[in-house]
Amino acid sequence: MRRRLTRLTRRRTRLLAGVGAAVAVIVALLATGLGRDPSVIASPLVGHMAPNFTLAQLDGPPVTLFKLRGQIVVVNFWASWCTECQVEQAALDQMWQQFRDSGVVVIGVNFQDTAGAARSYVSTADVTYPVVEDTDSSTALAYGLRGVPETFVVNQSGRIVDHVIGPIDEATLVSEINAMLLASAR
Amino acid sequence: MNAAGTLWRVRAGLPRLLVPIALAAGLATLVIVAVGGHPPASQAQQVQQIAAGLHCPICKDLSVADSPAPLAQQMRQEIAAKLGAGESADQIRAGFVAAYGPSVLMSPPRQGVAGVAYYLPLLVLAAGVVAAFTALRRWLRTPQPDPPGSASPRLSASQRRALAKAVARLREEEPG
Repeated sequence: MRRRLTRLTRRRTRLLAGVGAAVAVIVALLATGLGRDPSVIASPLVGHMAPNFTLAQLDGPPVTLFKLRGQIVVVNFWASWCTECQVEQAALDQMWQQFRDSGVVVIGVNFQDTAGAARSYVSTADVTYPVVEDTDSSTALAYGLRGVPETFVVNQSGRIVDHVIGPIDEATLVSEINAMLLASAR
Repeated sequence: MNAAGTLWRVRAGLPRLLVPIALAAGLATLVIVAVGGHPPASQAQQVQQIAAGLHCPICKDLSVADSPAPLAQQMRQEIAAKLGAGESADQIRAGFVAAYGPSVLMSPPRQGVAGVAYYLPLLVLAAGVVAAFTALRRWLRTPQPDPPGSASPRLSASQRRALAKAVARLREEEPG
């Protein structure tokens, strides 16, 4: 009788331990998911080759990403109606001026905008880097764009190394570019 | 044989003929549907089908087909353009997954960790059935206690033999 009771207790303990472990796994999964910021969505493109594009410049010849291989390319999606894009625009222009002779290209890809509004903004805000039009948004869709501004950093071999949602942090981007330039110089 | 008689015979035989004719027609329809399948969907229908399976990246719980957002509209145009260029539905879906990740699909993929969503309920159900079956079998095997006040307690064969021996021994020991 006592032996049977011990066996039953042991079996019950094992069952409880199993249920407890399953509950712990579920709670851990939920806690991991809830701890994440849903607005920060990692792009699956980081670490992969940047989708190629050939887009017409607002004022100038078309730009093909593939032809810029060997240089660091900062692809910035923006629109004239986007206030956050205006916040980062000065920093992008300053960065372009600082690095344009060191093998760094900044490209502004105009998204869901009219050519007139884009051109007017570019002249008013004195944007000096090349700005291209993505009229059918096919480039934006290839880059998995969700809104503007979004910035992709493409390294010298054409691979996306960084993706920024929202206005860029100039200091971070400058140090990132400096590190890439330093690594390529070695 | 007159004409009226022939007509009457044909009329009488008609219901008997109608059944096999209807059966043959039904069978032929089934064969045509099975072999031919659905008529090929138009490009607009294909766009709608693919868009319905994609999650609008900037919306909450809306498919690309249902969303009025400009980005969803552009995604529908992109699907149409890719279909026009000869890409298959799977290739188009794969393109969007490459850019937006698997979360762009309305239903999670059956492979990888997301596959757990499909297979875990089935596993739990199977485990429940096995557990219920085992518990039922164990319960049926366990000897049930006799209801209080029952006249004849159920004994096993060995118990019955032991009892018979004991009774015989007592009888032998009884004087006279």
